[in-house]
Amino acid sequence: MPQSLSITRETDRVRIALAAPRVDMGAITELEAALDAAEDAGIPRIVLVLRCEGMSFAGFDPDGAPDIHGFHRWEKVVTRLERARALTIAVADGPCHGPGFQLLLACDVRIATRDARLSLPEVQQGYLPGMATWRLARYVGLGRAKRLVLSGAALHAEAAEALGLVDAVAPDAADAESAGHALLGDASPVAGTLARRLLIESFETPAEDAVGHFLAAQARAIAQPAFARTLAAVRRSDP
Amino acid sequence: MKDPRVRSLFTASHIRTRHLDLPPPGPDGPPVEGQGELLARHRAGALDMGGRALTACLARAGLGVGDVDHLCVITTTGFLAPGLSAHLIRALGLREDCSRLDVVGMGCNAGLNGLGPVAAWARAHPGRNAVMLCVEACSAAYVFDGTLRTAIVNSLFGDGAAAILVRADGRDEASFAPALHGFASHIIPQAIDAMRYDWDEAQGKFSFYLDRDVPYVVGAHAETPVRKLLAAHRLPQRAIAHWVVHSGGKKVVDAIKYNLGLSAWDVRHTSSVLRDFGNLSSGSFLFSLERLHAEGRVRRGDWGVLMTMGPGSTIETALVRW
Repeated sequence: MPQSLSITRETDRVRIALAAPRVDMGAITELEAALDAAEDAGIPRIVLVLRCEGMSFAGFDPDGAPDIHGFHRWEKVVTRLERARALTIAVADGPCHGPGFQLLLACDVRIATRDARLSLPEVQQGYLPGMATWRLARYVGLGRAKRLVLSGAALHAEAAEALGLVDAVAPDAADAESAGHALLGDASPVAGTLARRLLIESFETPAEDAVGHFLAAQARAIAQPAFARTLAAVRRSDP
Repeated sequence: MKDPRVRSLFTASHIRTRHLDLPPPGPDGPPVEGQGELLARHRAGALDMGGRALTACLARAGLGVGDVDHLCVITTTGFLAPGLSAHLIRALGLREDCSRLDVVGMGCNAGLNGLGPVAAWARAHPGRNAVMLCVEACSAAYVFDGTLRTAIVNSLFGDGAAAILVRADGRDEASFAPALHGFASHIIPQAIDAMRYDWDEAQGKFSFYLDRDVPYVVGAHAETPVRKLLAAHRLPQRAIAHWVVHSGGKKVVDAIKYNLGLSAWDVRHTSSVLRDFGNLSSGSFLFSLERLHAEGRVRRGDWGVLMTMGPGSTIETALVRW
């Protein structure tokens, strides 16, 4: 069975690289398994290295024809990545079209290499770029999202950075990953993923509900060891 | 209700409707009732609601009152001896050899505390019918004293009753009932006073007290029993397709969501039962379970977690599979 992903694991991170030029059902299955394994092992950070020419419909159904349930399964795995218990770093390493761009949008930190190109060619090919329509409008606003989705035009790394789609541009994938880790710094997975959830939900949560959500999340954050360490340090430095 | 803080409790949108059984207002507004009148209303209301919930549950399974072999009745909103089970047997005409259990005073979590012994009875008597009835006349457990303490309680709870049939036999394909796989409990002894229903000398009534820290206490401990429950069956949390959580209140539901990482969709029935009925105490989770079944999304083989929280302070969980 061909490997669609290449996975390397260190103690505190797992690196998942797309190893085939196109995402197909095999890649989706492997990504599900990789996310399961990272969750079971309590890995605090996931790095996704994206080089992707587009979507392949192989395996979407037994006949190999595109199938709506295959798209549903794809959305589920993208949403799982977006809600992972780990903090997530996307590295756009070269071409990052269609599903590659969709995965990037689901990550907490996004870094591009200099030769990265980002596009959503789906509409030009007669279908839709998944829930990127929903995520992209939140990142860049409705007008820019319409332009990118309808035209399928590719963005250079610098242009993606200017739009806020990527946080930084780096010379190569290793530097990009380092930049991602540097950006996250010491962010704890619990406080980080709670903050990410509140940020994502902020677009559709009324302020009166959001305060309650914040308090529930904050109560969880301040019960964690990371905050206890902060508190101890503050107390030591206080006269 | 002139105090704006009290008024805002009653107009908050997370509870839109509740069912209450209240006497006409007294000269100063609130009805004037002593503890004896409240107990009488609990008994009458519980027999009425409880009888209807019990017969509806039996009718759904194609059974009649004569088919009940074991009856467990759960209530916290009033005390009486003999218990409601005896009164229901007399009022509905259940068999005289029906065995009984009354679980009284355990609060919102009691449905799962009762389900353990009911399931044990059912396992010991294969093929026979055990029924668990949760019946709470919360409007017979109010105090009006103008304080925020009683306003919080008065704005939250509603009346309701729900019953389930528990049987140990071959899977009943028609009823699509889940199978019980296990329970996990977690009590927080240091929070024993956070939720309590005790005597208020000044009012001459039982009065329910909910500490403002209840959501945080429940949230901080929510993972503990769930992890234990899932670990015993070697299941990761992502294996759980359905969450049936007690509708304790908006803040309690938020605490569960953000501590267990559940989405608003995961707790949709918890939120909608809260919105439509308020907190029904022990019966709330059975209302959510009914809505989950009615929705038609559950598939054979799906795992689910039932979860109730209440005085102790305690969190009770059960693992089920359809």
